Amino acid sequence: MFVPSVTHPIGDFVRSWVPKLTAYLPDALHNATLDSITAFLVNALICIVAVCAVNIGSAPILIYMERKVCAHVQCRLGPMRLGWHGTLQTIADVIKMLFKEVYSPSGADKLMFYVAPMIVLIAPFIIAALIPFDHNLIVADIDMGIPMIIAVNGFGVLGILLGGWSSNNKYSLLGALRSGAQMISYEISFAMILLFVVMISGSTSLMDIAQAQDGTVLDWLIFKIPVLGFIAFILFFISSTAEMNRAPFDIAEAEQELTGGYHTEYNGTPFAMFYLAEYIALVTNSALAATCFLGGFHAPCIGVAAIDGVLQMVPGVVWLFAKIYFMIWCYMMVRWTFVRPRVDQLMAFEWKFLLPVNLVLLAAGAIYMILV
Amino acid sequence: MLATLSGLIPQNLAFPTGGMDLAFYVVALFMLVTAVCTVAVKNILQSAVFLIFSFVGTAILYLLLHAEFTALAQVMVYVGGVVIFVVFTILLTSRLGEDAFAVKIPRVFAAFALSIIFTLVMVKCLLPIEGLASNAVAAPEGYASLKAFALRLLGYGPDGFVIPFEVVSILLLMTLVCAITIARKGKEDEEK
Repeated sequence: MFVPSVTHPIGDFVRSWVPKLTAYLPDALHNATLDSITAFLVNALICIVAVCAVNIGSAPILIYMERKVCAHVQCRLGPMRLGWHGTLQTIADVIKMLFKEVYSPSGADKLMFYVAPMIVLIAPFIIAALIPFDHNLIVADIDMGIPMIIAVNGFGVLGILLGGWSSNNKYSLLGALRSGAQMISYEISFAMILLFVVMISGSTSLMDIAQAQDGTVLDWLIFKIPVLGFIAFILFFISSTAEMNRAPFDIAEAEQELTGGYHTEYNGTPFAMFYLAEYIALVTNSALAATCFLGGFHAPCIGVAAIDGVLQMVPGVVWLFAKIYFMIWCYMMVRWTFVRPRVDQLMAFEWKFLLPVNLVLLAAGAIYMILV
Repeated sequence: MLATLSGLIPQNLAFPTGGMDLAFYVVALFMLVTAVCTVAVKNILQSAVFLIFSFVGTAILYLLLHAEFTALAQVMVYVGGVVIFVVFTILLTSRLGEDAFAVKIPRVFAAFALSIIFTLVMVKCLLPIEGLASNAVAAPEGYASLKAFALRLLGYGPDGFVIPFEVVSILLLMTLVCAITIARKGKEDEEK
């Protein structure tokens, strides 16, 4: 009988321990098939718990961080009263959000109204499962990581369109249409940059891409190819900001124009799900940037043996999270620094500037690959 | 009734009980339900959403057959592209999907009869096949991998597909140019 298996060292560990533990059970339950099924279920449970812990656990931290960064950019202090430096404020907000009554506006399409937030959450959770956190620490080490990321990004657009439409509110619909158009357009340059990364590292598996950047800082993709790598990194930063609907590209929400965009009518848990999806997308996009350009889980070695030895004693997970939070900090600084462009300026920027530059970059990368 | 039914099933067909088979039945049931919902719901936008779920079911079927790239292409093209544009078109044209479209009763009967005939023909044609495999046959190592796929697609040899690939790319370029020509403002529009 075929039983699917989870192929990584933690999976092997569980597989070796399950038969030892079942030895204590009565004889009727001794069975190789039963053991493999149990091992698979335990492994699947570990994977699900890991993904949920990284995703849902990082959301309150990011909300607190966003408030603090925003406040300090604007010369304020941010939350200070509840707990040490306002650390309990986020938890209080989360509890408030979860205990609110959930209701839909009259005339709303009930089914679509409640399905939309769940669809939005599909993409960030799948992408989080593909990120390699260390040499052996990855939930799904699949061959086609990059195509998978590009494929599931479509669900985000779908969820936003449905949420905006089913709210039965003109502002929501306008926000959803704007947001959909924006995400579809920027998805193209997002995919193009990932194509550049795939072309340089010669693999579509995120694990291989991270492994290919082993060595010193100069082996990271951002520095590996002079100038081109840095340009690609900046373009990735821009297109992922737009892909996530974050300011300065947040015309989908644009409080002053649309009273909140596609989630105007949402409250309580469904609103929390939209919010959660936005913040998980921040984590996954930062992790993607770290994996593709900043060396993934590798330590920033500088070629001096004494220092590198110390740096490499820190586990890769810590390095990856350090890089992720550095990237998140960059996204937040950009959000609170730049002003929002108009809708037509945003689209013109993508189609008339970003996409041609991407194509030129791709061609230049190909020429570099031939010459070097 | 049951006896005649069991008489119809040939003896060489082992009843599948493996994990893959059970997964197939679950996915097939999911696809059937979403497909029926696609045509049965009153709201046109809801049917587009059920269509998407049906396509996702198809992608999972491809995954069960170890055709990973086909599965991802299915999701990429249909969920990320085609259906999103269908949804966009519905949102922009049909008065926010308010006007429900009714299905005509005679047409339902005709469709029902046609689908029953189709099912019978399929069953009649498929059952006599010898060794109708219940388990998905594992493809040779690396056969469906992205690398082999790409090398084959861009190969110049007798088993390569570079000429159809280039023809399709020219077709896509033509559609792009056509779309721009239709969308851009004419000289008369600019003067107004």
